[in-house]
Amino acid sequence: MNPTRVLPLTLRRIAGSALLLCLICVGLVPRGLGAETLAWSIQVEPVQAEEGQLPPDFTLAIYEDLLEQLAKAGTFQHVYRSGDRQAESVPHLLTVRMTLLNFERGNQTERAVTTVKGATKVQVHMKIASRKGNVLVEKDVQGTVRLFGENLKATYSLAKHIADTLRDASIPAPTPQ
Amino acid sequence: MSSARPKLMLCILAFLLFFTYTCGQASETTTTSTPTAAAGVRVVHVLGLEGVKRNHHGTLTVQASGLKFEAKSAHTTVAIASIEDVLTSQDSHQTGGKVLTVAKIGVPYGGGRVLSLFSREKVDSLTIAYRDSNGGLHGVIFSMPVGQADTLKKQLVALGARTSMPVESQPEKKDDGGNK
Repeated sequence: MNPTRVLPLTLRRIAGSALLLCLICVGLVPRGLGAETLAWSIQVEPVQAEEGQLPPDFTLAIYEDLLEQLAKAGTFQHVYRSGDRQAESVPHLLTVRMTLLNFERGNQTERAVTTVKGATKVQVHMKIASRKGNVLVEKDVQGTVRLFGENLKATYSLAKHIADTLRDASIPAPTPQ
Repeated sequence: MSSARPKLMLCILAFLLFFTYTCGQASETTTTSTPTAAAGVRVVHVLGLEGVKRNHHGTLTVQASGLKFEAKSAHTTVAIASIEDVLTSQDSHQTGGKVLTVAKIGVPYGGGRVLSLFSREKVDSLTIAYRDSNGGLHGVIFSMPVGQADTLKKQLVALGARTSMPVESQPEKKDDGGNK
């Protein structure tokens, strides 16, 4: 083979691979991880529901799942639990509050047998507000388990949807105090 | 050759049905046994304990120092004084885990759905809300055989744990397991 033709071909291949690598890297960069959201910390409050509307295990499962999902997403500088005294001194703190809209307890056996009935659904109204009370994000979010998994899997689905919503939301940078 | 295949499938289906029914009988026998909470109850950690993986099997014991969860790779204690609420409920779930779920998908002629009817089990769940040293709220959920959660709750309350719903007045929110 002619050596004068081989070199440009190799260079072209290297350039092509480099371009492909760059595109992959750009695609892998997590969305919404700007300096704006990373400047905020967040505190999670448990779901507010009227007595008897939401079982206590679901209330705490949503709370724990959301804490885990937010920490995993890395969207915020720090994730604080409800009542954590350390959060009091944090300057840029957001609070996530949830109010129950709808809860339907399904049945795992019914789901496995019929495949169309027995879904567990939990829907909340989520509100993210700053310390001053400015609401930055507000949305209705639903978690569902339709086919496989136990009823509590709906809380995982809900927490994941909330974490995704916050990751994709355009939260403005905190104003300097 | 073609007539042998359905026969083989039917044999497999019959075997799986028998196997699941036998497993169900065995699990029911264990669940109706006398509660022995003082000696420790075999539980599944559903979520919430720090440093313990989800769905980890272990032993839950009520001691004067607190509620102790012990497993092969992890053990942790929740202090009685830090417990804000102890609640129990009942649910039902499918037994056999992922293996049986995959097996059920593989059974022809919708036989997997029939298997699902026999592979269910009623369980108690114990929900505990407690505060850490910084005042942060934690929620822990354990799943255990029927009848054990109330025993554990009584023991915790006797040692000073708070509850928003006394054992006697707690409404039985039972999952009927698909029987309506």
